[in-house]
Amino acid sequence: MARDEFQSPENTRHADKQSSRISNVETMESLLSPRFRSAAAMAGWDEETLLLASMIIEDTPERESKHKRRASQQFKTPPASSRRKRRAQQQNPSPIPVGAICLNEEENEDANGKKNKNTKVAVTEEKKKEEGEGSLPMESGVSSSAPVLPCMDRLREELSCAICLEICFEPSTTTCGHSFCKKCLKSAADKCGKRCPKCRQLISNGRSCTVNTVLWNTIQLLFPDEVEARKIAVKHTREANQKSPKEDGYSTRNVAFDSAITGGNISRRARRESSQEEDAAMGRRRNSSWRRTRIGPSQEEDAALALRLQREEFMDAFGRVADDEPRISLYSARSNLRAMASRARELRLRGR
Amino acid sequence: MSAMNCPMSSSTGGVRSWTSTTSVSAWGKRIQKEMAEFNLDPPHDCSAGPKGDNLYHWVSTIIGPPGSPYQGGIFFLDITFPCDYPFKPPKVLFKTRIYHCNVDSNGNVSLDILKDGWSPALTVSKVLLAIRSLFTNPDPYNPLVPSIAHLYLSDRVKHDEVATEWTMRFAR
Repeated sequence: MARDEFQSPENTRHADKQSSRISNVETMESLLSPRFRSAAAMAGWDEETLLLASMIIEDTPERESKHKRRASQQFKTPPASSRRKRRAQQQNPSPIPVGAICLNEEENEDANGKKNKNTKVAVTEEKKKEEGEGSLPMESGVSSSAPVLPCMDRLREELSCAICLEICFEPSTTTCGHSFCKKCLKSAADKCGKRCPKCRQLISNGRSCTVNTVLWNTIQLLFPDEVEARKIAVKHTREANQKSPKEDGYSTRNVAFDSAITGGNISRRARRESSQEEDAAMGRRRNSSWRRTRIGPSQEEDAALALRLQREEFMDAFGRVADDEPRISLYSARSNLRAMASRARELRLRGR
Repeated sequence: MSAMNCPMSSSTGGVRSWTSTTSVSAWGKRIQKEMAEFNLDPPHDCSAGPKGDNLYHWVSTIIGPPGSPYQGGIFFLDITFPCDYPFKPPKVLFKTRIYHCNVDSNGNVSLDILKDGWSPALTVSKVLLAIRSLFTNPDPYNPLVPSIAHLYLSDRVKHDEVATEWTMRFAR
């Protein structure tokens, strides 16, 4: 249970991301999201004007990323997909005939197959061309707003940590201006002395490793996949570190509990577990909503504190017993239960 | 749940005994990364790679730079990474005999960055570059073999002759 609590934010965040990706893919098919479309319909705009308007907005390449970010954060409209289709529009001023041709083909396939085949081939070729040209923005759309810049390799090099040679994870900047992963810099200060690994200047204080927020956010925007992978890895190692003591306590407790339970008590136990699961799920849901609004670096302590506050708030709001408190009384409850169970068994045996 | 820990330790080969599983996954990756980067852009006249399955044991070759008495020689080196690698320098050993004031008969190299001057931001390719520059510019003031350093300072021509002879004899 406690472990669940700990895992939940990361897990759900990952799940969230996946689901958002899926929805992204789904809405790739339709040009605009239904919500936006209905809004547009209310306002009396048709799709063509919308497209034209967005095309004008995105004419300048510098504004692209900005626009994309805003779109991905606030609106449900997938920016990249619409761009791709817009490109298609730019090339082919009337995309509707494509659909018409397809329909025609289905209807009178036998009648004049040859002619239709030709048109079909032409259409597919055109599509291929479009896809080939639009492959860069399309990729960016798939990897959830990862912009593909021409100087990506250089950026990767620049934003890599010289110690682990990967993209800086929670970068910390020294007084001499060099940035490393916070963890790497700490390890280096511990094991190699308090000098900058790059220029050997004295690092003022090894403990005052603060995350360079601007750099970290930039990295998260530029390399979301790498950062996500690294986050998962960090989570795993953290789990591995924390698992053993907690797990032991949990299992022994469980064993004691199991041995105490007989007969009808099992159902009660099942109910208890299901309610716990429910709690966890609720907490997770709440966490995910909270997580989504937070963009900055995930700091463990912050997260833990916020989690606890939220749980308390949640428990208060629903008038339920807080989960942490009964854990203490759980011990006494368990002994009571055990006594009751043995008494019940005795009674039953005597009755027979 | 103890099974969760197993794949982590086994994924890194399990040849050495490690103090903690976390550091392995983090820093074992650095060597892999370094290998990939080295292969992508190897320094001039140098090559390096793991000896076998063990990522922590590399073999490297440096070709004697032209203009030096070691020209045309191929020098083999053994590179061994400590388990806390980027924070401790790799150990470099000459496998090919060389007449050089900074390399002793056992193949040990006296190079600042392989000792106190090490920094975790250094990589194998930088180390090899430093060794290669040692071929053209020996450091006779911090010698490992004082007699060679003495000859280098007193009679450069003779020193170069002997060095060329050794290169012909051992490094071809």
